Amino acid sequence: MGDRVRRPQEVARTAPGPDGAALLARVARGDEAAFEQLYDLLAGPLYGVIRRVLRDHAQSEEVAQEVMVEIWRSAARYSPERGSPMTWAMTIAHRRAVDRVRSAQAAAERDDTVGRRQLVRPFDEVSEQVATRLEQEQVRRCLGSLTDIQRESVVLAYYGGRSYREVGELLETPLGTVKTRLRDGLIRLRDCLGVTA
Amino acid sequence: MTADVHALTGAYVLDAVSAAERDEFERHLRECGTCAQEVRELRETATRLGRAAAVVPPPALRAAVLARIAQVRQDPPEASVTPLRPRRPWALRLTGAAAAVLLVATVTLGVLLVQAREDVDRSTAQAAAMTAILAAGDARISSQGDPAEGRMTVLSSRTADRAVLLAENLPEPPPGRDYQAWTMGAEPRSAGLLPDGGTAALAVEGIDSADRIGITLEPDGGSPLPTGDPVMEFDVT
Repeated sequence: MGDRVRRPQEVARTAPGPDGAALLARVARGDEAAFEQLYDLLAGPLYGVIRRVLRDHAQSEEVAQEVMVEIWRSAARYSPERGSPMTWAMTIAHRRAVDRVRSAQAAAERDDTVGRRQLVRPFDEVSEQVATRLEQEQVRRCLGSLTDIQRESVVLAYYGGRSYREVGELLETPLGTVKTRLRDGLIRLRDCLGVTA
Repeated sequence: MTADVHALTGAYVLDAVSAAERDEFERHLRECGTCAQEVRELRETATRLGRAAAVVPPPALRAAVLARIAQVRQDPPEASVTPLRPRRPWALRLTGAAAAVLLVATVTLGVLLVQAREDVDRSTAQAAAMTAILAAGDARISSQGDPAEGRMTVLSSRTADRAVLLAENLPEPPPGRDYQAWTMGAEPRSAGLLPDGGTAALAVEGIDSADRIGITLEPDGGSPLPTGDPVMEFDVT
């Protein structure tokens, strides 16, 4: 049975599915059927990360819709130097969610509910979907390989939508150190997850 | 501190920077190949963080998105797109008569622009629309009426997706009524109200797949759909 056992990341990568880049190229030419397939590929991760940052369901739906429409609108401007189609889309989504969560009213609410040492966790529950659960396991394991401060900084920044200055205040750390920790933490994650661009 | 800017790659990728810092860092990325490469790699890593948060989206979202994209125009690709025809200035092919009309229309608009001191945004939009239409390869001009008793001129370009309506000496609408412009394709869509009678201009953004522009008389303030037949119609195909 030994040679039939495959490591989780291999399963994830060899799973068959539509090619995001091919779909995006068709979408760029106005192919709405291709966009539907692209939606099905992207919506879970996009909505998920937006909701993780924003927390509020209604706002998350609103921002997710804006992001999907933006993807439709700017599909022709995608190029591989912006990353894989998923990365391009997730970058738009995360940025929009962070911009929204930092707007004035949201900020007022956030500071009240999150105490100084009550840190943001990467994800709330174990996903029911196998592919996502594998991602979660890998990310959790690799986050575990960071120092505590690196991990806290990265999680506060990415999942919590905090600026590096806010992270500095929350963790009572100088700004230069925060920047270094964010960078080193990401580099360590990159090496652990085995990403090359 | 120039050494410091490279240390922002992590914060930048995690969107943990202010809007101003983001703009500044993106300018830096255009000049720093090492940072650009690092950003590319770290972005893929950040994406992995995001994918771990995936959840099943609400079903209503799919329908809402698909409905919305049916109405949204796509942007063209950036950078080098070879035009189908070589672009020349003044690519309009005009007969003598049409050229004369265009001259008057341009002069009229110029007069309006001078007069419209109180509404800079609208006159800027009109000027921008004129420029875009005239620079397109498929500009079209048509005119009805005569200057003495009221003339309407329409300049349009499908590729610029705009039109400008120029009214000269239009009779005042009856009391309680306004002139309303419409783009008419499968259904009429309001393009706005003409400012009363006399001499005026209206820029129309987005003529889409409309094949005509029509003017109707509507109750003051306009209507969602035309309530009568057009008093004037222009082809924009």
